[in-house]
Amino acid sequence: MKELIKELTEAFGPSGNEDAVREIIKKHVAEHVDEVRVDPLGNLITLKKGKPKSGVQSRKIMLAAHMDEIGVIISYVDDKGFLRFTRVGGVFPLTLLGSRVVFADGSTGVIGREKPEKRDEFPRMDKMYIDVGAVDKEHLNRKVGDVAAFVRPFVDLGQRLTAKAFDDRIGCAILLQTALELKTTPHDVYFVFTVQEEVGLRGALTSAFGVEPDVAIAVDVTLTGDTPEAHPMAVSLGAGPAIKVKDRGMLAHSGVKNWMANTAERLGVPYQFEVLEGGTTDAMAIQTSRAGVAAGVLSIPCRYVHSPSEMVDYDDVQNAVKLLVGLLSGPVDLG
Amino acid sequence: MQIKEFLKKLSEASGVSGYEASVRELVREEFSQYADEIQVDTMGSLIALKRGEAKDDLPRRSIMLAGHMDEIGLLVTKLEKGFLRFATVGGFDLRVLLAQQVVVHGRRDLPGIIATRPPHVLTREDREQVVPLDKLFIDVGLPEDELSQWVRVGDVITIRRQFTELAGDLVSGKAFDDRAAVACIGHCLQHLTTLKHAWDVYAVATVQEEVGLKGALTSTFGIAPDIGIAIDVGHGNMLGVSEMDTVKVGGGPAIGFGPNIHPLMYSRLVETAKSYEIAHQTDPIPGRSGTDAWAMQVTREGIPTALISIPLRYMHTSVETLSLKDLERIGRLLALFIANLEEAFAEELGLKKAHT
Repeated sequence: MKELIKELTEAFGPSGNEDAVREIIKKHVAEHVDEVRVDPLGNLITLKKGKPKSGVQSRKIMLAAHMDEIGVIISYVDDKGFLRFTRVGGVFPLTLLGSRVVFADGSTGVIGREKPEKRDEFPRMDKMYIDVGAVDKEHLNRKVGDVAAFVRPFVDLGQRLTAKAFDDRIGCAILLQTALELKTTPHDVYFVFTVQEEVGLRGALTSAFGVEPDVAIAVDVTLTGDTPEAHPMAVSLGAGPAIKVKDRGMLAHSGVKNWMANTAERLGVPYQFEVLEGGTTDAMAIQTSRAGVAAGVLSIPCRYVHSPSEMVDYDDVQNAVKLLVGLLSGPVDLG
Repeated sequence: MQIKEFLKKLSEASGVSGYEASVRELVREEFSQYADEIQVDTMGSLIALKRGEAKDDLPRRSIMLAGHMDEIGLLVTKLEKGFLRFATVGGFDLRVLLAQQVVVHGRRDLPGIIATRPPHVLTREDREQVVPLDKLFIDVGLPEDELSQWVRVGDVITIRRQFTELAGDLVSGKAFDDRAAVACIGHCLQHLTTLKHAWDVYAVATVQEEVGLKGALTSTFGIAPDIGIAIDVGHGNMLGVSEMDTVKVGGGPAIGFGPNIHPLMYSRLVETAKSYEIAHQTDPIPGRSGTDAWAMQVTREGIPTALISIPLRYMHTSVETLSLKDLERIGRLLALFIANLEEAFAEELGLKKAHT
């Protein structure tokens, strides 16, 4: 699964520019599902049809992971060919200094900064620029509107992994692996790879409207409280995938939450409960689609979220797959 | 049930946003006496249908009444040395949390208190400051190892507060926002049994209003009513708040007007109140109403929506205070408004003739 994670995280895909990621996922998912389609916004919607099982109520289940990552977009080109830019999604200026970015065509730029007025001045994005190495404006092949992503190769640290865009390619990898390992299911399972989560859950909004699921689980990253002087939070790397109770955008459906926790206990999969004070996921948009969807979230604990070097624990990732396969193989008990 | 008894029951029940089940059962018990059908939707909103007696040759019309049954509350975020750290669900005011009694809904219900460091051990600066959330904690009295057997991260916590009758017509308690509206809707249904009405009535106790109007959004989509009225609380007169920003407690239903409210719905409510001599007041709402009406109005192709506010003092504290008479007036106004709905009003609103 690490090869797959490497391939996905290293792909280019800021919000609205998910094509390369979608092609990779399509290639891997095709033989494990019965239907594949792309909706008008660019969401990749795949269906694994259920085989009815006596005594088990068949449900329409949507699993969602977003393909997009945060990035930057060129807003202005100056006379010397330096590029001013703004954020696509929640980019922190601090993480930009010293970074390299890559454009859709593979060309690279480095991020520079104007001379700060004070030595310890907090860096501001409007005081930074991208230098693509252009000798002058005439020889520049970039224009306003071009989008770039961080450059940062995947590194296997053994137990832990680090890469850019674990948010949410790790979710995409988990969905793919689940589709691969799920031999039969009594449910119609929609594996949905969404677009534009980082700019407002926009792909989830439309794909959920189109799919009309009964039950939904978003798979995304969450923050942890296990690093030095971290904000207090009872989530740690390696303690199992986290079952969301609440984040800033939603309260998980208590039935879905309990169904996940009970299944984890039955399977002996470690898990933790998550109360996240900032941020939200695709599940927020799915929950209020049409007349409402029973929606929950399976979170992968992740350090340094929205930086170019995010970190997850490989056991958490594998346990998330194990739990999802378990959930989809049996009855949905929303208590 | 008398409105006071029903409100007392609702107020003392626990039902933080997302965890409204026990309140829902109380509402079901009461509404089922007057309704033809009851259902609970995916999000958990309770929808009671009281059918109208429409003439066969006219389109079948419906009105949705919405009051939310969730309350703001707390959630365990961490167990620390035998104490509990917590987060808020909905807009809790940190100033009023200190020294409150709570119930921690763990594997069993545990009474607890929100701890307060005594003034003697505080610096002068600390004493003058609102205690931030990460400095607050709950004590349920259990030693560390036993605590973890009963309480887990994510368990819900509610404020414990008895319903109190003040002198006169006023009562005080928690979660009147917005269970008082549920009581009004119950009163309306009860009153409707003595009246004839042509339109179907969907009486809805919505969920998760305090975290983003979610129950109203989804239940309105599911019901697809022709028109809707949300009932919520509005700031009542009190010392230190301008009269311009408040409505009068005991002054009757505060009928909202502004961009969130359909002008014809507003004027029809005012006319109804006038013709039946129901004391009422008007409540200008210049923008977002922050109520279920905000979600209802833009559901599907749009729904002519009105908003009635219950004058209420000390909102989002555990001593919310209101007048019982105002609740009865709102229930009666709603019932009379509904009983007078006819096809001409639908035409005036420009409602589609689609469904019969």
